[in-house]
Amino acid sequence: MNDLTDTTLAQTAREHADMADSAAPVKMAARDVHVYYGETHAIKGVSIDIDMDHVTAFIGPSGCGKSTFLRTLNRMNDTIAAARVEGQITLDGEDIYASGMDVVQLRARVGMVFQKPNPFPKSIYENVAYGPRIHGLAASKSDMDAIVERSLRRAGLWDEVKDRLTDSGTAMSGGQQQRLCIARAIAVDPEVILMDEPCSALDPIATAKIEELIHELRGNYAIVIVTHNMQQAARVSQRTAFFHLGNLVEYGVTSDIFTNPREDKTKDYITGRYG
Amino acid sequence: MSDPLMPELPSAGGGTIAPRQPTDWTTDAMRQRIRKRYARERRFRRLGLVAVVMSAAFLAFLLVTMASQGLGGFFRTEVALPIDFPQTGIEVDKAALDQPGADLALAGAGLENIVGSAAIAAFGDYGPNVISDNAWLTVREAIKHDPSILDGRAVIHVPASAEIDRAISETGTPEAEAAVTKLQAENAITEGFNWRFLSASDSTDPTQVGIWGALKGSFFTMLVTFLIAFPVGVLAAIYLEEYAPKNRWTDLVEVSINNLAAVPSIIFGLLGLAVFLGTWTLFGHKVGPLLPRSAALVGGLTLALMIMPVIVIASRNAIKAVPPSIRDAALGIGASKVQVVFHHVLPLALPGILTGTIIGMARALGETAPLLLVGMRAFIATPPDSLTDKATVLPVQIFLWSDEVSRGFVEKTSAAIIVLLVFLLAMNAVAIYLRNKFETRW
Repeated sequence: MNDLTDTTLAQTAREHADMADSAAPVKMAARDVHVYYGETHAIKGVSIDIDMDHVTAFIGPSGCGKSTFLRTLNRMNDTIAAARVEGQITLDGEDIYASGMDVVQLRARVGMVFQKPNPFPKSIYENVAYGPRIHGLAASKSDMDAIVERSLRRAGLWDEVKDRLTDSGTAMSGGQQQRLCIARAIAVDPEVILMDEPCSALDPIATAKIEELIHELRGNYAIVIVTHNMQQAARVSQRTAFFHLGNLVEYGVTSDIFTNPREDKTKDYITGRYG
Repeated sequence: MSDPLMPELPSAGGGTIAPRQPTDWTTDAMRQRIRKRYARERRFRRLGLVAVVMSAAFLAFLLVTMASQGLGGFFRTEVALPIDFPQTGIEVDKAALDQPGADLALAGAGLENIVGSAAIAAFGDYGPNVISDNAWLTVREAIKHDPSILDGRAVIHVPASAEIDRAISETGTPEAEAAVTKLQAENAITEGFNWRFLSASDSTDPTQVGIWGALKGSFFTMLVTFLIAFPVGVLAAIYLEEYAPKNRWTDLVEVSINNLAAVPSIIFGLLGLAVFLGTWTLFGHKVGPLLPRSAALVGGLTLALMIMPVIVIASRNAIKAVPPSIRDAALGIGASKVQVVFHHVLPLALPGILTGTIIGMARALGETAPLLLVGMRAFIATPPDSLTDKATVLPVQIFLWSDEVSRGFVEKTSAAIIVLLVFLLAMNAVAIYLRNKFETRW
């Protein structure tokens, strides 16, 4: 029973398996990370390597801590007064929780895309240009124009918005807004992009566009994506981590996780037994 | 063998569920409930309408009363007074009339008596009562303006007395009524816009008073209040919302601010008096008063203390209402805390902050009690030229005039209220314009 080899999930994962390169360099590494929200122990000793040039998917039932863990990777949890992080997380071997680490620079290197599209209530151009401007990445107006165009092209949005760059970013459709947010994130030239359920507020067509975009971005960034959609994890990721109740239950190559999970809990979850 | 993708649903509680009983929506009880509901809706709508109509009626009553009583204050009756200067025997050195001592020289030449005699000559024994007590000041200005009139007979339009004014607008004394009838027959009476009311300051004579001094005093005071209360209030709100740790101390600060907003304004007057105008002994030296009495600076500082809690509370609410997703978005691409606040949070909160500031400033503009305590109720006959000059403000001026015994001040008081309301409207209009501008930009 429970032979997964015939399910579509496993098939999808296998079809995309050729992209997985097991010898990729490690970009970020977490060692025995614990996160507390006041009294609540939200993350219980997670150790994981995020590989360069790959998409890593975090899956797991609601409240399992995957978003919390994602937010520790660029220290967004710092903004929550009650949150406390223990353990070590490194970016290129450098401890991001060390006292010498500049949080502002860290967040420029480890960009983030949120669950709900959250463009600034400014023009499309300003949305993309804001990051490069505060980090001083453009020396001139023409530099900035080039960065904005490149970022929008990478986010697959340029052809749709090139004639209305001065329109408000909030006036676009949800899918366009989310791609604008991705363009905004890549405009500061990050090394890692964290995506917290980026498609949960989008329709299937917009979701397909974002997934396509993630595919295209894969070669240049380490991408971490939190998702509730098993199909999506199978389609876009090469590594999958399954979280449950604050524990990292299983982590490995996506096709292995979906065809031959080692843990019963993983198997139960991806077959839809709970979650 | 169960299908792995279709797990069995747990059965609900076990046991059989009773068959559904259809609800009868047409019973009498049901109908009565519906009727009651409609009646309640109608009653509530009517009450709301009554409330709106009542407030509109009060507002209309206020405006109509003010306008009918006060508009007369903007106009004044003038009497054409013929004076035959050579006959009066006035002796003035014409060459000295553009010198600084000209006012004194003309007063010394007995101009006041000359004007009185001219009135008697022109209008009979009642003449001196026809023209204002200060009519000679108008004559003096006319002579200084054109000394050549001293060579012959001239007709000068001087302000009429308060009695004549009243005899024209309503009913006056029989003598005044008679004089008016006679003057009108001679075409010697004219009605003109009272520029003096807008350009002069306080006076003991109601025909000579003006609002300019108080208006300028109000402007200076509001300027100080805004420059202190707005930045300090907004910065305090930003710190409390975005930076301060949430603990017992910040709770205490929050409670204190809420309490301060409810403190009666006269208490702030006492505070201003004690802090800005008080004297202390420090290390055996006398210190203070820090600031001059009766000045717009002190009044402004006192009112700033009063409205700061209002601005802090409104600003905190506006900052709280900025969606957290915007903060996350900015932090997520590496904006520092200060950049998040000044590039994103503050511009989005600004319309709300401005609304709170308008309410605070409007309250400060109409405030009298605290200013009485810092000495701004003095008789100020010269408009202030700087923040440290002695000054008074519009509401205090209204309060002072409403206390005067002379009947002429009634009209002036209402006129001053109109000026205060116009000032208030202008201030609010500017603030609302700014608020809308920031709202559409985002």
